[in-house]
Amino acid sequence: MSGTSQSALGEFGVQSALAPEGAGATAINGLTIGMTIAFGVIFVLLVLFAWAVLAGRLAPRRWWIWAGGIALPLVSVLALVVVSTGILQKITREEPDALVIEVTGKQFWWDVLYDPEGWALRDANEIVIPKGRPVTFRLKSDNVIHSFWVPKLTGKMDMIPGRVNTLPVLATETGRFRGQCAEFCGLSHPKMAFEVVVLEPAEFDAWMQRNSGEARDAARSELLRGRDVFVEAGCPACHTIRGVADGGTLGPDLTRVGGRGSLGAGMWRMNQGTLAGWIADPSAMKPGAEMPSYNHLPGPDLRALSAYLASLK
Amino acid sequence: MTERQAYVVDLPEDESYSGSAKGEPGKSFERIWDAPQGVRHLSSVSHRVVGKRFLVTGFVFFLIAGFLALLVRTQLIVPDNTFLDSETYNQVFTMHGTIMMFLFAIPMLEGFAVHLIPLMVGARDLVFPRLGAFGYYCYLFGGIIVLSSFLFDAAPAGGWFMYVPLSTSTYTQDLSADFWLIGITFAEIASVTAAVEIIAAILCTRAPGMSLAKMPILMWYLLVTAFMIAVGFPPLIIGSILLEAERLLGLPFFEVALGGDPLLWQHLFWLFGHPEVYIIFLPAAGMVATMLPTFVGKPLFGYGFAVAAVVSMGFLSFGLWAHHMFATGLPVMSLTLFSAASTMVAIPTGVQIFCFLATLAEGRPRMSVPMLFILGFLFIFVLGGLTGVMVAAVPFNLQAHDSYFVVAHLHYVLIGGFVFPMFGALYYWMPQFTGRMMSETLGRWVFWLMFIGFNLAFFMMHLTGLRGMPRRIASYPEGLGWDRLNMLSTLGSYILAAGVLLFVFDFFRHRRHGTQAPRNPWGAATLEWLYPPIPPGFNFHAIPEIRSREPLWDQPELMDRPAPEIDGALRPCTDHRRETMGNDPITGAPLQIVRLPHPTWVPLITAFGLALGFGATLASLYWLVAVGFAIALAGFTAWVWEPSDSGVLRDSGLGDLRLPVNVVDPRSHLHFAVVGTMMISAALFASLLFAGLYLWNTQPHWAETTPPAAPLEAGLALGVSIVVFLLGLASHRAAFTAKVTPVIVIDLGLALGSAALGALLFMSIRTVDPYGSAYAAVGWALFAFVAGYLAVAIYWSLVNALRKAVGAVKPGQMLPNLLIATYAKVVAIMGGMTAAAYLLAGGAA
Repeated sequence: MSGTSQSALGEFGVQSALAPEGAGATAINGLTIGMTIAFGVIFVLLVLFAWAVLAGRLAPRRWWIWAGGIALPLVSVLALVVVSTGILQKITREEPDALVIEVTGKQFWWDVLYDPEGWALRDANEIVIPKGRPVTFRLKSDNVIHSFWVPKLTGKMDMIPGRVNTLPVLATETGRFRGQCAEFCGLSHPKMAFEVVVLEPAEFDAWMQRNSGEARDAARSELLRGRDVFVEAGCPACHTIRGVADGGTLGPDLTRVGGRGSLGAGMWRMNQGTLAGWIADPSAMKPGAEMPSYNHLPGPDLRALSAYLASLK
Repeated sequence: MTERQAYVVDLPEDESYSGSAKGEPGKSFERIWDAPQGVRHLSSVSHRVVGKRFLVTGFVFFLIAGFLALLVRTQLIVPDNTFLDSETYNQVFTMHGTIMMFLFAIPMLEGFAVHLIPLMVGARDLVFPRLGAFGYYCYLFGGIIVLSSFLFDAAPAGGWFMYVPLSTSTYTQDLSADFWLIGITFAEIASVTAAVEIIAAILCTRAPGMSLAKMPILMWYLLVTAFMIAVGFPPLIIGSILLEAERLLGLPFFEVALGGDPLLWQHLFWLFGHPEVYIIFLPAAGMVATMLPTFVGKPLFGYGFAVAAVVSMGFLSFGLWAHHMFATGLPVMSLTLFSAASTMVAIPTGVQIFCFLATLAEGRPRMSVPMLFILGFLFIFVLGGLTGVMVAAVPFNLQAHDSYFVVAHLHYVLIGGFVFPMFGALYYWMPQFTGRMMSETLGRWVFWLMFIGFNLAFFMMHLTGLRGMPRRIASYPEGLGWDRLNMLSTLGSYILAAGVLLFVFDFFRHRRHGTQAPRNPWGAATLEWLYPPIPPGFNFHAIPEIRSREPLWDQPELMDRPAPEIDGALRPCTDHRRETMGNDPITGAPLQIVRLPHPTWVPLITAFGLALGFGATLASLYWLVAVGFAIALAGFTAWVWEPSDSGVLRDSGLGDLRLPVNVVDPRSHLHFAVVGTMMISAALFASLLFAGLYLWNTQPHWAETTPPAAPLEAGLALGVSIVVFLLGLASHRAAFTAKVTPVIVIDLGLALGSAALGALLFMSIRTVDPYGSAYAAVGWALFAFVAGYLAVAIYWSLVNALRKAVGAVKPGQMLPNLLIATYAKVVAIMGGMTAAAYLLAGGAA
């Protein structure tokens, strides 16, 4: 099992809804703060009222029930419904020119398809989006129900087999934001996370350009050996590395796997060591993962393969 | 209306006829009510025995589920903990939720209801004692089935909500989901039987003079709860049966590839799941409303407000279920409506809270331990209610949903709204069970440990959740801002557990060393405190007339003499039968004498047969399933086959008033039971129909491509259903006729009509392949459902005919015809609606 230090993700930024970096999360956080203050005041007033009652200072009156039991809740919930409906309209509005990113929940990772009707760039477990440009996530599942949640950007949305849900997002800051599956989806549900990387629009366009082609060439002999191991060991049955082996869709696309910030769907730092550990025994790191163990690979092959994958940036 | 005129049976001249075919003439009144001893104690049907069993079993399940909660908290005390692996953790949190909701909270409130209702309304036993005992055994066996999954290393691990597709056989291949579905459905039998029993007991067996408006407030709470159970549990029962049918038989109800829909399960589950929360909360609030006046020494302030609030809460609770599904992609319009409806619950809740506060203001409350728990309840529950309004706001919900914020909210509502009042109630009513008082000193420790521990454990979770921690994760990485909060929550949970353990210690201590409780130890106003301190087996020597809502405060004749000398109804016990008063449901005026069963093994045997059937289904031993259900059927037959005392006039003990036994009248407790049962049945049927309509709406393509049922047969079935309905009407009239033999024709007609209806429905649906689409499978499910009811109709009407043919029934004793009439009418409507659905639904052939 990986050590604690490998999963210390603090440097990636937390996934707190209280530190919003997206338009949706900011609007919701305003509502959170407003409700907390309003209900906090109501609660304190109720406690003081109960205190006075217990001290025997007040004689019971029928209008208490009308005022406190009916009028007060009615007025507050009506106000709340009006405000929250306004915010709901705002955060669910989809921009027609938004960048569409299709995300499919898997057990226990995320398949990502940028601009399905255009570029159709496939990736996994790390989603890169531009700052200040509307994005619509198109959320699907072909297995069990998952839920797509990046608390710093906006609220969550379920991924349900047989349905397509949409989630509009507008990132207002650049950075790395962690997301996590929020619907219990089986054995390794706690290990189904991901990251969203927000770039300046120009950087994002450059990123798209850079990554829409084939995978980076293997430049050294060890990497070339790693590429051969990838093909010989049967990896392409499930994984795609564009330009090397196309067609594998059961597992994550590995064309730029070494460039991702984390491994195992947002769980461990991406480097050659964790990659080798993963290949040797995926289900030790993530119980229930569908990938079989490759600990039968000779040591040099495993090293070459993991070095090759780490070089794909 | 002449129909309302009960037909009265003349007493035979023969002196040997005692007025009861099943009396125990050798026994005194006291001996007749004695609980059997030794192993025969298991045959006891007394509400006092059954109620205590519910409470003890429920509390044991509470301790088990609490232990599981401590495992959860221990696992989460530090990041990346390896104390439990993922699989075990998933089993532990699934079983924690499942046991708390199904095997602790509901049975516990049933225990209080079963124990308290007869004592508070002035009855000698619950109206259907055998049904109560049967329900208890179903609950016990169902609970054992669910728990036994640990022994087979197949504990359910899919969450207490069992969402599909995760719980279908594709993603849960072992038996764990079957243990859950079968065990819990079995245990739910106890809930629905309790609903029928609570409704009939509260409406039909009150003391003379106790009108609806004079009922103790708890009776209103329990009555509304019972109606909610009757309507709220059926969607889950249907959902569970559909899911088990999918797992066992491969019927594609939720299979996306064949037009099923995972959201259908969520709708059915939360159609149950949300009312369930109020089903748990309301009785607890009712107990608070009962205890509070005692400690203040004044009646509940705003009784009418409270009743109106409870009734409106009952209705509102059925319009909110989709707020558990805000993140599933519902249209914005639905979101807004469900959100608004959800927040509206704040009003009836607010009314109750202010009734309680106003009651507190009526006098200086005595700060006994139950009172502390009431104040704890107010504090915690109000906080939980406020966060409830927060999560009802859709945008906020989209962040909070399935995060630890919701874990905090639901525990504030359920522990605040149920566990704290329940502990108060245990302290309050404990003298009724043990005759002794629990320790005030230790009780204060218990309260403060629980209160501080609870708030420490769960208040933190609001923050943990908003910092992004999802629910149901076995481990979390370090450095996301959750570490310290989780540590504090875990420490809080240990303190809470220490409080509960101290309670358990005090329970065992006080049984030996507690001070003897005097008569009416708290100075309460309600009837259950009439006898000191443990009421006798029969509850009341004579059932007093009630003239006040606070009888022990306002009717001096009740407390100024020893309880056995109090005057009232049914003091003479000439027939040596267990019996109690039956009343008019509205006014409380005496209506009849209700004969009650003596100890019998039938409920245990019947429940055992069902347990065998359900358990053998799990093991795929289908011959044993048949044996089990055969035992159950034999048990049910023995249950109903007894000589009728119905209609015989006896002395009531109220002056010269003579009342009929088990009166033939629509106000009969038995008729209320049938109405209650048919309400449950209608809710079951409606859940199935909802499933069909839902699929029709959301998957129109599949509705069009599924071949239709045969229209000719469906049309004929519709016609026959009208005939069955008319026969039901005839049977109702026949119950009041003087001649017995001609009524046999109606009985046989009902059997024949039911058989024809079932056969025609089968002929109509038989061309449709149930495996072809989810839509077709629901069509078959409708048929199977109605066929089951028709089989009962056939069986029942044949038994009725047979009893008449062998001379076991006299004029004035044809109550069964009144009962089957109501049953047949509802079944005819369900059959007719199924036929109509076959005519309307389905696309081109």
